Amino acid sequence: MTTLEAEQAIRALAGARQLQDPYLKRWLAREQAERVAMLDAARKLRLRTGQLAVALDLLEEIAVREGAGIDSILSRENLQRLIESKGPAPARASAFIAELRAIRFPRLGATLRRLSAEISALALPSGVNVVLPKDLNSDELVIRISVRSPDEFDRLMTMLAEKRDGLARLVRMLGGDDEL
Amino acid sequence: MNFELDEIFIEEDSRASALARRVIEALSPRVPIRFVADARAATLADRNAADPFGKGKRRMVIMRRRGAFLMGCPAASARYACCGYLVLALASNCPMDCSYCFLQDYLADNPGFQVYSNYADAFAELGRLAAGSPERQFRVGTGEFADSLAFDSITGVAREFVEFFAAHRNLTLELKTKTDEIDGLLSIEPRGATMVSWTVSPERVYRTSERRTAPPSARLRAARCVLEAGYRVAFHLDPIIAYPGAEDDYPRLAEEILDTVAPEKISFVSMGSLRMTPALRTAARRRFPDDPMLLGEDILCPDGRYRAFTPLRLRLYRQIADRFSRAGAPVQTYLCMEPASVHRRIFAAEAPTPADARERLCCAG
Repeated sequence: MTTLEAEQAIRALAGARQLQDPYLKRWLAREQAERVAMLDAARKLRLRTGQLAVALDLLEEIAVREGAGIDSILSRENLQRLIESKGPAPARASAFIAELRAIRFPRLGATLRRLSAEISALALPSGVNVVLPKDLNSDELVIRISVRSPDEFDRLMTMLAEKRDGLARLVRMLGGDDEL
Repeated sequence: MNFELDEIFIEEDSRASALARRVIEALSPRVPIRFVADARAATLADRNAADPFGKGKRRMVIMRRRGAFLMGCPAASARYACCGYLVLALASNCPMDCSYCFLQDYLADNPGFQVYSNYADAFAELGRLAAGSPERQFRVGTGEFADSLAFDSITGVAREFVEFFAAHRNLTLELKTKTDEIDGLLSIEPRGATMVSWTVSPERVYRTSERRTAPPSARLRAARCVLEAGYRVAFHLDPIIAYPGAEDDYPRLAEEILDTVAPEKISFVSMGSLRMTPALRTAARRRFPDDPMLLGEDILCPDGRYRAFTPLRLRLYRQIADRFSRAGAPVQTYLCMEPASVHRRIFAAEAPTPADARERLCCAG
């Protein structure tokens, strides 16, 4: 694909998706190999407007963080698998964005996985939910108890008390405890 | 330091001021000077410029300050465990250019590098503050809207304030800087009433994000010099940026501080993670699109600012605080723009009230 052909194809896609002009300008300002790789991904995944904008944001940020080109990022096996596979495009597009987020926020993802594993290991009874702060944006752990009778309340409070050490450990982990 | 000024505007009312005379003597004819009746228009952003904020930095405006010089710290809020800092606005904007600087948003509409010719009016405000509560201590800093020392070789204002504070026992002056421009201070006797504080960062942050500042090693050497000249010294590890490797670099920086200044000689150390409002984040990224320090694992916090996600941020605080707590002598350490719950987690103690924090920080070191 020539530079001119790539530009025309990107403009056509951006027009069809009503992509905002600043995004289009940033896309066109990339190196030829980068913009073509992005075009290929956008076409094969049938990215919607919002997804296209988010993907551009994330790819640009990853490129700066890692000192890599967007084409090189998109050539990674886990992303290529999603771009090239034959499943339904909406599901692949969502998974693609999720994968880009995981690359962009690697330590947040790892910490969330560890905390989720801790919560699962607690084997809390039905009726008790532990809610982590969104994106771990605070040190507050919410423990929600849903009951419909005094007996049920007593039972859950007793079971919760048995999980006290595990819950305290979760609170410490949220505060960046070195055990993490 | 090496100024990069395109032009200087001087308000007619300020033409005969001591400050204007010093600036003219230092910079004319190298930098063109224009006299105007009202310089406020010269402080406004040039919206046609590719970088209005950067252009504002290169336009010095000598003018009268119309409002009060003394005010509460703009970061203070009931959301946070605050330090009770008071701000003295002697200038607005800064000749250095750090990619993360909050002024990029705070001064987006009027980025002209203002220096106030009627700074002596601040003495009356300070005098009223000191006399109004003689039993209380006040820490007053000039480094919030500008670097306290970056332009002092030209304006020579710091000397007058050091001498004024030396005569008021319940006032402490804080000169906050990222320069090593201390020559003007060394011949003054501060009588314990002035502390010079340095914002310090690891070498990696300095190289990517702190344009025209002095290297961290030069800042630490300057701290040692002013300490020997009778000043108190303090350090701001702010912003702390949670980049990969920060867990090694910040404790090492703490080590370098302690190697340079004995812990009992450090008045305090403040810590604050990089935090950005969405508007600041947009402005900073637009100006510095290739700065990886602006692309950390930051998420939107309940106060509407982006910060490193909580466990990562708090772990960094704890590592740094631990290093200072093992220094061999107590070092007053506090957090900036963090809630009391974070203070409790890091220091295993309740956060002091702003008034208590102010007393402690004025009297430490």
